Amino acid sequence: MDQATFDFYWEDFPVGQVRAMGRHRFTEEEIVAFARQYDRQRFHVDARSARETPFGGLIASGWHTCAVAMRGMCDAYLTRSACLGSPGLDSLRWLKPVRPGEEIEFRARVLESRPSSSRPEVGLTKFLWDAVNGSGEQVLAMEGWQLFTRRRRAAGATKP
Amino acid sequence: MSVPDAILYWEDFAPGEVMEIGRHTFTEEEIIAFATQFDPQPFHTDPAAARGTFYGGLIASGWHTCAIGMRLMVQSYIGRAASAGSPGVDNIRWLGPVRPGDTITYRRVILEARPSGSRPGIGLVRSRSEALNQHGETVMTMDGWGLFRRRPEA
Repeated sequence: MDQATFDFYWEDFPVGQVRAMGRHRFTEEEIVAFARQYDRQRFHVDARSARETPFGGLIASGWHTCAVAMRGMCDAYLTRSACLGSPGLDSLRWLKPVRPGEEIEFRARVLESRPSSSRPEVGLTKFLWDAVNGSGEQVLAMEGWQLFTRRRRAAGATKP
Repeated sequence: MSVPDAILYWEDFAPGEVMEIGRHTFTEEEIIAFATQFDPQPFHTDPAAARGTFYGGLIASGWHTCAIGMRLMVQSYIGRAASAGSPGVDNIRWLGPVRPGDTITYRRVILEARPSGSRPGIGLVRSRSEALNQHGETVMTMDGWGLFRRRPEA
């Protein structure tokens, strides 16, 4: 892995940067398929009985929205980055339901960035990852940290 | 509305109550299947490539660990509760890797229960969930909020 090169290192995520993480249309079929496996509450798996719940109809599992956000993050930057993982999320909010047929837009904003005090080759980045529906309403907001390797500098010279 | 028997309302969640939610053994096959769809990083999808990473081998996506926890919560009590969803979760911490063959036990303690200030028939329950592996090591913790309907007046 030492020889690997990446498109994105810690330095490539400056505070204030906003990055698109793609769009995804949630179909009824996939909402039900995810929830049958992981979140079998009736407002996630049964369109008819979902109408009798506080949500008034089928909605996606919040974990489904998170998983799709993760996929968007991987495709947008993570798998091409020198990411060393994440210690976790400080907060995760499901702000609005995601309903069948809705197209959801995912984005990442850099909130904070600092070098690791204990590991000089590592930097920490705090992101807000959020998702908005077609009406511009925020449906998901997550704040958390990712660790990235810093760009290596050749001896006596600074690589771009 | 069809009402299953022994339905759990907000009043049934008492602060301090500890509950074992269930356990799950993560197979390599399902770790790869979940991650291929939702978290295609090499240490989640490719056992050979994973050996060369920081983690030294295949590990489950943290979202997979969360999703299995949700499944077990629905099976153990949310499925028979008057659930009104969740506004979110705080402090998700992935403290240790989950590797193929690991058996993870999930448990939950109720931290707080209070009526909703804005929605009369609803109460909030805040609980800490913990996931431990077969060596007793904590691999994940989170503090989640759940909304439940209050018990109807008799």
